[in-house]
Amino acid sequence: MSAFIQYTLQGLATGGFYALAALGLAVIFGVMGVVNFSHGAMYMLGAVGSAVLLDVADIPFWGALVIVPILLFLFGVLVERLLVRWLLKLDPLYNFLLTFGLTLLIVDLVKRKYGVSGLPYELPAGLEGRVTVGGLSLSSYQLFAAFFSVALCVAVWLLLTKTRIGMIVRASTEDAERTRALGINVGRWVTPVFGFGIALAGVAGVLAAPFRAITADMGSNFIIILFAVVVIGGLGSILGAVIAGFLVGLVEAYGQAYAPSYAQVLIFVLMAAVVLVRPAGLFGREEAS
Amino acid sequence: MRNTKMISLAAMVASSGLVLTACGSAGGGPSSDGGKISDDKIVLAVLNDQSGVYKDLSGPNSVEAVKMAVEDWKAAHKDDAVSKNIEVVTADHQNKPDIANTKAQELYDRQKADIILDVPTSSAALAVATQAKAKKKVYINIGAGTTALTGAQCNKYTFHWAYDTYMLAKGTGGTLTKDGGKKWNVVYPDYAFGQDMTKSFEGQITTAGGAIGQKVPTPFPNDNFATYITKAAADKPDVIGTMHAGGDLINFVKQYNQAGISDQIKLAVGLMFITDIHSLGAEQFKGVTFTEAWYWNFDEQNRKWADKFQERTKTRPSFAHAANYSAAYNYLEAVQEAGSDKGDDVVAKLEGKKINDFFLRNGEVRAADHRVIHDAYLAEVKPAAEVKEEWDYEKIVATIPAADAFKPVAESGCSM
Amino acid sequence: MSAQLTETTRVETAASAAPDRKLNPFVRAGALVIALLAVLALPWLIYPPVAMDIMAWGLFAISIDLLLGFTGLLSFGHAMFWGTSAYVTGIIATRSGLPFHVAILGGAVVAMLLAVPTGYLAVRRTGIYFAMVTLAFAQMIFFIANQARDLTGGENGLQGIPKSFFGVELIENEPFYFYYAALPLILLGAFIAWRTVSSPFGRVLLAIRDNPARARALGYDVERYKIMVFVISAGIAGLAGGVFSVSHGFASLQELIWQTSGKVVLITVLGGIGTLWGGPLGAAVVVLLEDYLASSGFNGIGIITGTIFVLIVLLFRKGIWGTVADLVARIRGRAATAAQGKRDA
Repeated sequence: MSAFIQYTLQGLATGGFYALAALGLAVIFGVMGVVNFSHGAMYMLGAVGSAVLLDVADIPFWGALVIVPILLFLFGVLVERLLVRWLLKLDPLYNFLLTFGLTLLIVDLVKRKYGVSGLPYELPAGLEGRVTVGGLSLSSYQLFAAFFSVALCVAVWLLLTKTRIGMIVRASTEDAERTRALGINVGRWVTPVFGFGIALAGVAGVLAAPFRAITADMGSNFIIILFAVVVIGGLGSILGAVIAGFLVGLVEAYGQAYAPSYAQVLIFVLMAAVVLVRPAGLFGREEAS
Repeated sequence: MRNTKMISLAAMVASSGLVLTACGSAGGGPSSDGGKISDDKIVLAVLNDQSGVYKDLSGPNSVEAVKMAVEDWKAAHKDDAVSKNIEVVTADHQNKPDIANTKAQELYDRQKADIILDVPTSSAALAVATQAKAKKKVYINIGAGTTALTGAQCNKYTFHWAYDTYMLAKGTGGTLTKDGGKKWNVVYPDYAFGQDMTKSFEGQITTAGGAIGQKVPTPFPNDNFATYITKAAADKPDVIGTMHAGGDLINFVKQYNQAGISDQIKLAVGLMFITDIHSLGAEQFKGVTFTEAWYWNFDEQNRKWADKFQERTKTRPSFAHAANYSAAYNYLEAVQEAGSDKGDDVVAKLEGKKINDFFLRNGEVRAADHRVIHDAYLAEVKPAAEVKEEWDYEKIVATIPAADAFKPVAESGCSM
Repeated sequence: MSAQLTETTRVETAASAAPDRKLNPFVRAGALVIALLAVLALPWLIYPPVAMDIMAWGLFAISIDLLLGFTGLLSFGHAMFWGTSAYVTGIIATRSGLPFHVAILGGAVVAMLLAVPTGYLAVRRTGIYFAMVTLAFAQMIFFIANQARDLTGGENGLQGIPKSFFGVELIENEPFYFYYAALPLILLGAFIAWRTVSSPFGRVLLAIRDNPARARALGYDVERYKIMVFVISAGIAGLAGGVFSVSHGFASLQELIWQTSGKVVLITVLGGIGTLWGGPLGAAVVVLLEDYLASSGFNGIGIITGTIFVLIVLLFRKGIWGTVADLVARIRGRAATAAQGKRDA
């Protein structure tokens, strides 16, 4: 039983990453109709950014947790203004392809600049040890990462439901047509929302830095799982992205524990099952075609 | 050479005629009139990964090492050299077997390469072996670890110079067990490489009088190992062995350190390179045991070469850089002895040759399977406090004699 | 289209170009002859194994275009068909010793069989969802292939696939002759794609692409049509993958990895969506570029291909073929341009 609880907690910790990043993906998609293929690359930039900050400016984890998302927000704004913007009025496939090209570019540029063998990073001060509760022993950092991502998801949720800005974004996410009809200028929010979504991917990256390999390729598998997450949750749904993120994290953890060779396949089997039963995803609405 | 590629399209038109002629002759090999150098030059080609995960381990610096070998060889032979015209060419296979395959053909056919060196990534390595056999030209692999190169898929023209998975298992599994680590648990990625490594380790550990308690498979690729580490540490073994490599290994070690067991249980790594330690920092790996094919700071002889290497590349050599040098140099020696760069002639000179250089200690090119055997080393990563200079990460705790380090010919399964 | 997607105004669909049906038959026959001559001359101009790669990737791109340009479906998981066929072809060829043509056809058939369930699930979603679902399925096949090492050889790959062809040594040993021996299979794939597009079936596909709701209202079973074209496309991708694996003499996990799906989409978009023949053109550019860069000492092919891709998507969405066709149309005068405009409307 204690092993089971442990797997569950580990699943939630991983799920937190997926939820955070998927949340960013969902918000961008909702407001702009853009599926951001470069989300995995942005996650990677978050982790690489933390390592570079430590190396160059001696800024530790806690500083990176603040600075890196801000930098990625700015980077997102730049990408939106320079590239994504020009294709917004076209078929969403074009931005999907654009961000795919961007991914190739970013990943290889990082490889050139920071090498291929990975970058060093230590556990943040104060979180090196382990927490023992009853028969359970957990790494304090993983516990922190799990709680932090849950808290951040909740904070974003509050931002989206309790503030005016949030309500506009949420309304555009759920039904852009009607929001526009109500006289709200959705266009104004496009750039900051893109930056915000990218920043969320960056936060996931910073959180991953202390206990995952920091390499230019770390986002390439991540983005595929992220796609499975949003298909399961329903792309149009913010709640769906978060819940599916944790769900996939749990499936992965249990899979790893009880059927290790098939842990990754299980995620896609889950996705196939969801598509079969509810094509629009668990929390998405049926298509109006 | 690179500049001429600029007009490759134009050249292709011109050379297609040549290719056709080559196609017409048997096997496209060099014309043989015995004791001659084809095209009046010897061309050494380094085909490896210059942009992906093995870039640091071998990559562009292996090319540099081969150039060093050519210069040193020329200096050593001055007037009696069989040819003064020696070229080094290179291509980046990006770890993609299809690109490796096409490039190998191009190198042999169009760039007139007499030998291909390095080729990491097992699928690419095996694909190039097939081409070497078809073109009847020499191929010395350094970067790949698969025993299939000198086993089921061996051929007359393929040599395996530096290391393989058997050597790694023998060194780490066998030696550590003999030294008292009787009770092992092994965590391995559940795909061919991980399964093979685990099998090799089990063989060595059992022979040395130990046993593997748990074998814990993990997905591949994977970045979350906490569960498996907990599992493997549960029954308090003497040693936990991990068969992960590259990014997964770094994930594993990071999370192993966080599991708070690194003081009680020894961590042994199946496949690890000095470049891994360099990128992550010695502190993360301190106390980790693994097998090295060669270490730059092992003795004065190695260090001397490493200093020369550093002058040119501004970095310390990995075993792969040293092995590329050694292979290129000894290939040229064999050409000199044969008086010809024809594949069959050079192979005949290499087979059975006993070599002692700074890389190959007590080395021998085994004639039966073309495995090049030499002393291997059991290394332990120093704690950061003991690292006196950059790259000085390893303490050699044992030398595994050449005769023991590699798979016996009888077990290789090679028939040429 | 889901409600979220319809908010974007479609100035230009993913496939605005339609096959040029109104060309003068003489011009068309002439173009066909020139194209065939170019294909036949290729291994004289380019190193034969590279020429074979161009043809295989070109056909693979045609299979993508059949879906993207003519049905409006972007498959981002087509590596599963290319790779599955590569492995199946290899298994048949190594274990049975049958001529490689038979092995490749077998591989293509298995790819089509795989396309039935995956297609059935994938066509339940359109637009960008379709891309993500196909991508996820391809990833699943990748993991399964990695596990099934008895069949696939794991990460060592399935090595030593013979080019058996009734003991004809020239074909079996020389890439130059192998090119001509394998070419009929490539042409067969291209012909099937062309027939599919120019048949009444193809017109229904275009109708589905342009307005699925109307197609449904007209009584067409939209999902069934989509599955059918998905299966055909998988078969073509399978032919291409089989030729590729026999040409190289092995099949590896590289054939199934998602970057392979990405590369073929890149080739298709570069060549020109909705043109069918743009695919081989895009393949020629990408394969030659890769071949050149691999020996150039420039490490970081993604920087070049990524930049090209971003530029193409931003500035030349019609790809090489479409852009050149536009230029030709402009040169040929306003009349032609007007006719083009009428057709597009």
